[in-house]
Amino acid sequence: MSLLDRKLLRDLRALKSQALAVALVMACGLTMMVMTRSLIVSLESARMRYYEEYRFADVFARMKRAPDDVARRIAEIPGVAAVQPSVGRMVTIDLAGLPEPVMAWFGTVPERGEPLLNRLHLRRGRLLEPEARGEILVSEAFAEVHGLGPGDELAAILNGRKVPLRIAGIVLSPEFVFEAPPGAALPDNRTFAVVWMNYQELAEAFNMEGAFNQVSVALEPGASERSVIAELDRLLVPYGGLRSYGRAHHASDVRVDDEIRVLLGLSVGFPIVFLAVGAFMTHAVMSRQITLQREQIAMLKACGFGRREIGLHYLKFAIVIVTVGTVLGVIGGVLLGHRLVDLYHRFFRFPDLHFELATGVLFAAAAASALAAVIGVWGAVRRAMRLPPAEAMRPEPPAQFEPSFIERIGIGRWIGVSLRMALRNLQRKPVQALLTATALSLATAILIIPNAFRDGVSYVLDFQWDIVQRQSATVSLVEPGPSRALADFRTLPGVVSAEPFRATPVELVSGPIARRLNLIGLRGEGGLSRVLDGELRQIVLPPRGIVLSSKLGEVLGVRIGDEVLVRSLEGKRVERLVPVAAFSEDFAGVSAFMELTALNRLLLEGDLVSGAYIAVDRGRWGDFLAAVKETPRATSVVVKEAMRESFRKTTAESIGVLQMIYLLFATLVAFGIVYNSARISLSERARELATLRVLGFTRGEVGAVLVGELTILAVLAVPVGLWLGGWLARGLLTIVNTETVRLPLVLTLANYSFAASVITVATVVSLLVAARRIREIDLVSALKVRD
Amino acid sequence: MNALAHSSAASSGRPPDLARGEVVFHVRNLSKTYGTGEAAVHALAGVDLDFRQGELVVLLGPSGSGKSTLLNLLGGLDTPSAGTLLYRGWDLGAADEAGLTQYRREDVGFVFQAYNLIPSLTARENVGLIGELASDPLPAEEALRLVGLGARLDHFPAQLSGGEQQRVAIARAIAKRPRVLLCDEPTGALDVRTGIVVLEAIESINRELGTLAAIITHNAVMAAMADRVFSLSDGRVVNVQTNAQRAPVSTLAW
Repeated sequence: MSLLDRKLLRDLRALKSQALAVALVMACGLTMMVMTRSLIVSLESARMRYYEEYRFADVFARMKRAPDDVARRIAEIPGVAAVQPSVGRMVTIDLAGLPEPVMAWFGTVPERGEPLLNRLHLRRGRLLEPEARGEILVSEAFAEVHGLGPGDELAAILNGRKVPLRIAGIVLSPEFVFEAPPGAALPDNRTFAVVWMNYQELAEAFNMEGAFNQVSVALEPGASERSVIAELDRLLVPYGGLRSYGRAHHASDVRVDDEIRVLLGLSVGFPIVFLAVGAFMTHAVMSRQITLQREQIAMLKACGFGRREIGLHYLKFAIVIVTVGTVLGVIGGVLLGHRLVDLYHRFFRFPDLHFELATGVLFAAAAASALAAVIGVWGAVRRAMRLPPAEAMRPEPPAQFEPSFIERIGIGRWIGVSLRMALRNLQRKPVQALLTATALSLATAILIIPNAFRDGVSYVLDFQWDIVQRQSATVSLVEPGPSRALADFRTLPGVVSAEPFRATPVELVSGPIARRLNLIGLRGEGGLSRVLDGELRQIVLPPRGIVLSSKLGEVLGVRIGDEVLVRSLEGKRVERLVPVAAFSEDFAGVSAFMELTALNRLLLEGDLVSGAYIAVDRGRWGDFLAAVKETPRATSVVVKEAMRESFRKTTAESIGVLQMIYLLFATLVAFGIVYNSARISLSERARELATLRVLGFTRGEVGAVLVGELTILAVLAVPVGLWLGGWLARGLLTIVNTETVRLPLVLTLANYSFAASVITVATVVSLLVAARRIREIDLVSALKVRD
Repeated sequence: MNALAHSSAASSGRPPDLARGEVVFHVRNLSKTYGTGEAAVHALAGVDLDFRQGELVVLLGPSGSGKSTLLNLLGGLDTPSAGTLLYRGWDLGAADEAGLTQYRREDVGFVFQAYNLIPSLTARENVGLIGELASDPLPAEEALRLVGLGARLDHFPAQLSGGEQQRVAIARAIAKRPRVLLCDEPTGALDVRTGIVVLEAIESINRELGTLAAIITHNAVMAAMADRVFSLSDGRVVNVQTNAQRAPVSTLAW
């Protein structure tokens, strides 16, 4: 090892706490980068393997009822490789011990042999015996929540008849990687299940023998999805076909895509912020180091060391810091990645989801942190390289001081000597003061981000469950029925009020852009489920026109007054141009609303409803649930509190873990920055402070100079940081917001207070550590030589 | 010091040394001005001097007389504003950064008042640092033994006295077998006894190796140990005194 390298190592040892702080900040950014990138790779490869091995279909379609023969005709469409028809129905399950009814999507498997497409992965138990009756396969997520296993029993209301069923096996399906009720943005594994039974049994129960109502299609390699879809749609029209769609619109697959997009955003956004802070800290540490080693640099130059050798020597400081940061970051990323993969099991059910290190990211991580460090260190190193040896040989000229601004305006006499020195120091080195203040601002800012995410989630939930949905339950009919069906619901025990709604699948088209969704018809001024604008004011649905969620308006590129084409996907399949009447606020998916009568008029179907929103007297909640389970007309019941509870137990907990990780990192980084700033100012003032001690100032008085400086800077920097944090959070939210889930920017007083408190605590702790060092200053040697 | 002389003679790959008395530095009308306009400071204002091979020169003068500026120019730490500065016929004033670095690396040994040791390196390592630059350096141990520090090889600067630190700095300067030894107030921070030890080290190197040694001081007593004494004031040479006989360092007292 060359002697300059040995000097480097010893200097680094002296700087270890500061160097480690910088390395840790970088490591935090890299941990997130490695973790998120690896999660992307893990999800993508697990998905690819799963889809391939279990023959996940390419195109999907639903219809009212098509005879088996149609499946053969579908198979003849050019480009179609395989066809898997089946029956699918929404069914209510009664699970012993659970007060709420469970909504279950019942699908079928062929009576004999495995399905051609969308094969099931058996987790426990066995698959269904041929011709077996009263046996089902249950999705894993639901089974886990309720501790169900093979041999357990439950009851389902199949077409109005309560049927006892026994679980044969617990399975996964590539169609339900994300196991959520149709149209729901969040998983609810407590009251939503996916169940499979033999074709014949379900078909018989719903009078579908010799027919099917859903079909999955695999394409031949190179076949055009678009033309197969067009042909399929044409073929299925007579059978009440809804428009078919490819994987890109498959609800479960879209959610995996969304997750990957969010991870992609986080893999860029967070590391950029953290590495920028790391670059900044490297700059601060190295500038200080080079100032301290002014004479050493000059001596090295006098001895004949060239600019390049000296530049490289100081660059190596950064290289060491980067190396430590990268190693720690990769280790952290791998460890946390494993932890998060476990967490992902709650949302995404793959037969085999395991952590896969994105090896490419290791290089990117090293490169990104090296770039950050080089940017941080470059100015300082250049200064070292340019330092003229003769000039450096002279001690730095004594600093020019003058009375501070505050003293000049006449209030100086009320300020103590320590504070006066602090003020003059700050004023003498405004650039340095600015840099320290910027560091403190950044530390404050990054603390805002994770809590802004938390508050955004919590706002969305409150918005969704308290402001928009004021009903206790949503009950859907098996088929849209006449509005008098509502009367049945009104007579259920405990029902205070019931409001009808209509949900019908439509395609909304504006120019080349189209979106498929359930268009919801509501009473003009609903009291239970309401449509709200950006200011949370209720929008009274007009007798003419459609209300779009603002995201949908943005996607379709329409403004109020523009017309969108509403294309009904079932029933009479009407197509009408409807003017956009207003935009509503919405954070999950995209949605569209019309006044109920106007919608029914548009559909040309008379006075129909799909179900009702129901408010229930809390005292009679149990009676209501018991009764609704026995109501044959009700196909599904969504209980708001159950959903909220389930959300709290799964999603919120997971988001909480992520948020805690980010918060922990942000706090670490904030401490690192503040501690570093304190150490740097201490080391800059070592001589000065030692002199003061020699002159007879007490430790407390000397410490006050340092405290004064940092406090003044913190007081100036924290408000700026709070403001900056808001902007950083806004930027990151823009990156991660998708069409499926969006978080609003919610900045609360609690968030601001937390950030300010952490900085305060970090400042106090750092000052205490610095104070210990003041005690350790060797007065004589500090005055003799610089170190 | 015989070992030093022997090692030096064995050095190779350099142009042959000049004969004793030949001109090493040729200085004519040399000026150095810092700053411009009214704030300009004329640190050197037209200096004419020759420095010869093998001689020991003392530069005397009060603070601000231009001694250090002259030394910095001779050592290639700085470039002149005007005038001629030739080193063995090579125009130092016109040399570029790389040329000056090479010159300092190969030919010049510096000793500073403030020692300028690297605090994180031991005595041996501080001297050894030069070994990474020079083409034929003295082993660090040998250089340290020459200045009487053979027993303190592995001490850090903070563990050495001022005189010892300065002797480490001298060992560092001679380890590259420099042709020119430039010492800026080498005893400025030392007591008399330690100062004598340091000056003896410089004197013996000059004597044994025939290295041109220039010592800056404002201590007139040291003039007696020199071959020639240049007195500076206000950036000019005001007197050149030639000693017929150099006084042994041990006889000096201040």
